[in-house]
Amino acid sequence: MDLKDIKAIIDLMRKNALSEFELEKQDFKIKLKRGVSGPMLPAEDTAALAYGAPQVMALPAGAPPPAAVPALAPPAASLLEIKSPMIGTFYRAPSPESADYVEIGTEVTPETVVCLIEAMKVMNEIKAEVKGVVTHILVENAKPVEFGQPLFRIRPA
Amino acid sequence: MTVDASILCALREMSWGVSGAELSRQLGMTRAGVWGHIEQLRALGYDIEASPHRGYRLLSSPDSLHADDLYSRLGLTRVIGREIHVFQETTSTNDVAARLARGEAREGAVVFAESQSKGRGRMGRVWLSPAGKGLWFTVLLRPNIAPAGATQLTIAAATALARAITLQTGIVPDIKWPNDILIRGRKVAGILTEMSAELDHLKDLLLGIGMDVNLETEDFPAALRQTATSLAIETGAKVNRSELAVAILRELDRDYDLINKGHFEVLAEQWQERCSTLGREVSIRVGDRVIRGQAESLDDDGALLVRGAHGHLERIIGGDVTVG
Repeated sequence: MDLKDIKAIIDLMRKNALSEFELEKQDFKIKLKRGVSGPMLPAEDTAALAYGAPQVMALPAGAPPPAAVPALAPPAASLLEIKSPMIGTFYRAPSPESADYVEIGTEVTPETVVCLIEAMKVMNEIKAEVKGVVTHILVENAKPVEFGQPLFRIRPA
Repeated sequence: MTVDASILCALREMSWGVSGAELSRQLGMTRAGVWGHIEQLRALGYDIEASPHRGYRLLSSPDSLHADDLYSRLGLTRVIGREIHVFQETTSTNDVAARLARGEAREGAVVFAESQSKGRGRMGRVWLSPAGKGLWFTVLLRPNIAPAGATQLTIAAATALARAITLQTGIVPDIKWPNDILIRGRKVAGILTEMSAELDHLKDLLLGIGMDVNLETEDFPAALRQTATSLAIETGAKVNRSELAVAILRELDRDYDLINKGHFEVLAEQWQERCSTLGREVSIRVGDRVIRGQAESLDDDGALLVRGAHGHLERIIGGDVTVG
C-alpha cells in the first residue's frame, strides 16, 4: 500500500462519511480517523458535523447563527437505521460456521440481507431496503432484540 | 381440478367401479379420451382394473406423491393446498417456494419434493430427506398480520401436525417447545419457518415442514437413532404418505382459518396441553450463552418462561432447547 492507496481510502471515507477505518494484514496495519474525536455523537449530529464543519468556516461574517448549520448538510448525509420488525434473537450469520452477512463498510443494496432475527424457529432475514454502506452494527451476535430496536446504521448512497 | 385429478376422485368415490360412459359424461369427453387418461395413470403406477361388468376400478395407488392425486384426495380447502407442486428432487422446498412467492403463486400454494439435496433445519443444519420416505414440503402463506404474529403460525403448524398424525396413525405425539413433534421423546417432524417482512407488514411466510414417515432405523445415521424416529418405526407399518399429506393440509387449513378469525387462543391451549417441555429441567443455548432452569409456563405469545436457579423468571424466545 502506498500514499496513493491511502489517499483513495481517505476519499472513500469522506464520500461515505466514515469516521474510522482500520485494516490489518500480515505485517501491515493502518488505522485512519477523521472528523470528530471524543465521544460518539448521535448519527445525525455526526453527519452534520462531518459535512457542516468546513461550511461553517466558509461562512461570511453576519451569516445566519450556527443553528442553521445542519440545514447546510446535504440530505443524504444523515444515516438511516435498520430496525427489528419483531422481538427475537439477532444473528449476524445464517449459521455459526458461515461468514457474517455484512461488516462495517459493506456496500448494500435494498435486497442485501444484513442479519437474521429468530423468534420460535421463525427465521426473518432482514434486508437493507436501501442502497448504501453499513456504518454501524448496533447489536452483538445472538443477543435479544426488541420490536423497533435499531440494528444497523446505513449511509445511503 | 385437472382431468386426472377428477378421474382419481371419481374412482375413489365409487370404489366398486365406475363405467366408462359415466366417466365420459362427468368429464365431458369421449370414452376414448377417458381411456387415454386411464392409460396415463396406469403408466404412473395406478393399478386400474377395467372390466365389462364393473367398469373402471382403482385397485391400488403408487407410493409416490402426485399433484393430481393430492388434489383428488384433499377435497375443498379454504386456502391451503389450492395450488400443489410436486418435485422429484430439489435443493430445499423452501427455496422453491421462495421463488414461487416472487412470481405468481397463490397464497396456500404447497411445494412437495420426494427428496431434497439441501434440506435444512435451524441455523444452517442439515435436514435428512431421503427419496420417497417422508413428507418434505413448504406452504406459502401471506397472512395479513404484523411480523410478530408469525410465531402464531408456527404454533398452529405444530398443533396441525400433531392432530394429523393422530388421525392417520392413532399415535398422540408431544410437542417440544416451540414446535418439534416428538414420539416417545424422539423427533418425528420439524418445522422451519422463513419469512420476509417489512417493519409493520409480513410479506411472505414459508412454513417448511419435514416429517419422517417411512424411514427405517437404518435410514438414519447412527448419530440420530437415539434422537429421531419415523411413523413407520413407531407403528410398525408403512404409512400412506399421500393420505397423511392431505390430512396435514386440511388440519393446517383449519388452524389458519382460526388464526385469521382471531381465535388463536384455541390453538395456544391445544399446544400447551401437548407441550412436553413444561415442568421439565431445560437448558437453552443462545449463541455462546446457556440458560438453565425449569420450564414453567408459556407467555401469551408462546415464549417459554424459565425459572432460573436464583428464582428469577427468564423469557425465552429462541435458541436450542435441551430437555433434562
